[in-house]
Amino acid sequence: MSDFEQIATVDELPPGGRKPVVIDDTPALLLRVGDNFYAIEDVCTHDGQPLTDGPLTGCEITCPRHGARFDVRTGKPLCMPATEPVQTFEIQVRDKAVFARPRA
Amino acid sequence: MTRSLDKTVADRPAGFERAAFDAFLETRDEPGWITDLRRKAFALYTERLAAPLDPEEFKRVDLRAFRPGDYRLSPPAAPSNSSAEFATLLADRAKFAGSVAHVDGSGTLAVLDEKLASQGVLFGDLTSLVRDHRAALEPHLMTRAVRPSTDRFSAWHAAFWTGGTVLYVPRNVQIDEPLHSLIGLSQSQGADLSHTLVVLEEGSSATLLEETASADANATGLHVGAVELLIGPEAALRYVQLQNWNPRTYHFAHQAGHVDRNGKLQWTVGGLGSRLAHIHQHVSLDGQGAEAQVNGVTFATDRQLISYYTQQTHNAPNTTSDLLYKEVLRDKARVVWRGMIKVEKAAQKTDGYQRSDALMLSPTCRCDSIPGLEILADDVRCTHGATAGRVDEEQIFYCMCRGLSRFEAMHLIVEGFFRTVYDRIPVEAVRETLSRTVERKLGIGR
Repeated sequence: MSDFEQIATVDELPPGGRKPVVIDDTPALLLRVGDNFYAIEDVCTHDGQPLTDGPLTGCEITCPRHGARFDVRTGKPLCMPATEPVQTFEIQVRDKAVFARPRA
Repeated sequence: MTRSLDKTVADRPAGFERAAFDAFLETRDEPGWITDLRRKAFALYTERLAAPLDPEEFKRVDLRAFRPGDYRLSPPAAPSNSSAEFATLLADRAKFAGSVAHVDGSGTLAVLDEKLASQGVLFGDLTSLVRDHRAALEPHLMTRAVRPSTDRFSAWHAAFWTGGTVLYVPRNVQIDEPLHSLIGLSQSQGADLSHTLVVLEEGSSATLLEETASADANATGLHVGAVELLIGPEAALRYVQLQNWNPRTYHFAHQAGHVDRNGKLQWTVGGLGSRLAHIHQHVSLDGQGAEAQVNGVTFATDRQLISYYTQQTHNAPNTTSDLLYKEVLRDKARVVWRGMIKVEKAAQKTDGYQRSDALMLSPTCRCDSIPGLEILADDVRCTHGATAGRVDEEQIFYCMCRGLSRFEAMHLIVEGFFRTVYDRIPVEAVRETLSRTVERKLGIGR
């Protein structure tokens, strides 16, 4: 099991902000919704391409190419063409810093 | 994340920027013409690095987690380097007429049968051979097969190549026993940019078995390589490369073979290891009657990504190319195969074939197979195809009814799937090695 890695500071991301990061050698996308942070694998499970610039509405991110939507809290696919969940990461916020690691 | 650094390596600038390039040149005791080529290539590399990568090519090969600055070149021949610490796949399996080994980019071993050496055969380390045999090697080194200007990775390689195996066979010399070459990485964050150059003059023949290996299963590593195979008229080469890095190594390579009139090239690649491998493999049939057979075996597991971009170019009439790739995937692995047969206008009566079959052992793996043809001549025979499929549950059930366990059944099916390509490999040691490695990766056997 990998250790937590620091991937950002709280101040880097305003609410609604995002940052592409690498967690455990995996390209991931860190998102801030209100005061909560979420990290998902930055790859759409439908076409295998990045979700980086996908619009975020509430806790739902939409793939910029074919419109697949995912819940960033759970990774669950919410509409076609995606059928598989996207990987999510465990987040910890300590002393204004954001840490992440893959879920067990 | 903690990183272990070897002391001898730590004081060198990491990465491949200007400072690292200058420090690298200082360690190389090389003739001026080589240094000039390196400087030109470095300028090209800097230029290419500033330009974006081809989005079509790299949309399937995700480089976002790859940071070239994490790796560094080892000083030449660090004393701890030895090829003995590698669990090689091939070294003990056959009798070889010669062996060459490179560890962390430096030559550690070069032996050749005396009889062959007296016939003018050169087999050894590029760094030293290029100094003493400029006339034989200069016309071929990155001029015809792999050109520095191709892309970022070829320019990178041309600027920083660290050494590599050279085989030069003079006219009409036949080498019956195979030759062996090992490329190893032993230090964490180590980089290897070795170059394989094979030149077969008219009427000669040889077999070269090459393998790549990591001494430490957990060490991160980087290989930016190139392979050039230049087969003269009526010459015949059998070349095997087994890529078996540990799962934390990045592997990039440009590999190209040029076959002249009535020459024959049989090229077998095994893509087994690495975290991410992206290889351009190009065979070019340049003379009448030239033949090339390309065999590929890849087995990707866990989070590996193995990508092969293959091209068969027919530049002359009556040429034959025949490519067969077999890919097995499991877990969350990805395999990309992009194949192209290109037939130039002059290449009438071409016979070109390409086929890639993928077998998926789990529902989470992904395979992208993209065959292609580009034909400018009007009298040719070109066939291509790709298949991808899951293991048939009924086949497993059938095997289990006859007393095999599920594991054994799976092994039998995978072995059978690879069989058609094994049958095309004439060197028994290679067949056996591939089969053993597949067994190991499946999680059974030794």
